[in-house]
Amino acid sequence: MKKILAMLAIVLITAGTAMAQDELSFERKQAIDSLALEKVRDLSKYIKIVGSKETAWSEANRVIDRAEELFMNNAEIGVSSLSSTNIKYYKVRPYFEHLMRLNYDRVEIEWYNIEYVSDLQRQPDGTYVGVITIFQTFRGYDKEGQLAYKDTTKKDITVYVKRKETQIGGRMIGFWDVLLGDMRVKETANK
Amino acid sequence: MKNKITTVVMILLAALITLGGNTSCKSKKRLAREAAEAEYNAKVAEAVRDLTAILDDETDWTLEEKEYRVQTIKDWNLQNAEVDDLLFQVEKKLARERAQADKRAEEERKRAEEEAQAKQPKVVLETNFNRIAAAASTTQANNIINETLELFSTNHVPVLIIISQAGGFNDYDRPTTIENYLNYLKDQKVSRNKVATFKVNDSGKIIELELIKK
Repeated sequence: MKKILAMLAIVLITAGTAMAQDELSFERKQAIDSLALEKVRDLSKYIKIVGSKETAWSEANRVIDRAEELFMNNAEIGVSSLSSTNIKYYKVRPYFEHLMRLNYDRVEIEWYNIEYVSDLQRQPDGTYVGVITIFQTFRGYDKEGQLAYKDTTKKDITVYVKRKETQIGGRMIGFWDVLLGDMRVKETANK
Repeated sequence: MKNKITTVVMILLAALITLGGNTSCKSKKRLAREAAEAEYNAKVAEAVRDLTAILDDETDWTLEEKEYRVQTIKDWNLQNAEVDDLLFQVEKKLARERAQADKRAEEERKRAEEEAQAKQPKVVLETNFNRIAAAASTTQANNIINETLELFSTNHVPVLIIISQAGGFNDYDRPTTIENYLNYLKDQKVSRNKVATFKVNDSGKIIELELIKK
């Protein structure tokens, strides 16, 4: 009986220690929460740059490369329109290429109210998964400078944060890899 | 009779010798006194001349030379009212000049220190990060990027960004390269990180850069 109790105690202590190691402190959790939000804000700037008709083609392509690095493989971005109930989903590069080709003389894209709708939660494989919502206002102007189209879309972006390691300068560096998943359209309004 | 004459002559001679010696001694003392007086007067004149010249800024002496001259005159201890009055005025003037010179030297030292500091890679990098983020055009940002890349051994030097130092160890963002990081600043138009550490090679070029959130 004593042996069983001792073994049980060892198992509990070991499990407790392992759980403690997995649990992130408030400060570290806050740091990765902010990091994920920052990546979404970075994406908003990239969309704005690529969408702008003033951006040179080479610059736009460089920015698309950077934007692609923010996403998981095969992630999709939803595009909606007031003229259709259908939502078209594009892979990341085709989405940006579509954005570059939009038939407006000038395009303004603003993201705002960027915040978590679902906090980062630790999954059994150690990945933290959360959902960030954003509001996007799109304005397209014609050659005369008149507003030709405008909508506001609410989109949800799934974010994945995983601890990884890489070797730099002969030492192992542990880092948090933030990757964006699908960007789903939730609402589109004429606002 | 002959003896009497001899005695008188001897007495006369003795009197003459005594009288003559006494006159000679008095003359030497007078001469010495006169010489001392002349020397004193010369020193007073020299002191008055030099102190007046200092007071009227009519010398080409440095501040140190002026201070040395004043000290020499003080050491003469002339005890002359005019010299003492001039010394008082000159010392006040030199104290002002010394304070100004010390202030200028301190300002110069600080300026040199700031110049040396501004040339430090850390300061140059952070300044350039801000300049890139605030650049008025893509061309301007690209020029600063190229200028900044000169500090690095290659465009692919790794850049690590510390996002948290809680619990005694560093949490990093995904590593990037200096070229991508500088372009990131251009795209995002904000510089959120400062330099934490960097390593340089034998040529003084940066081979690794670690940044930390401001």
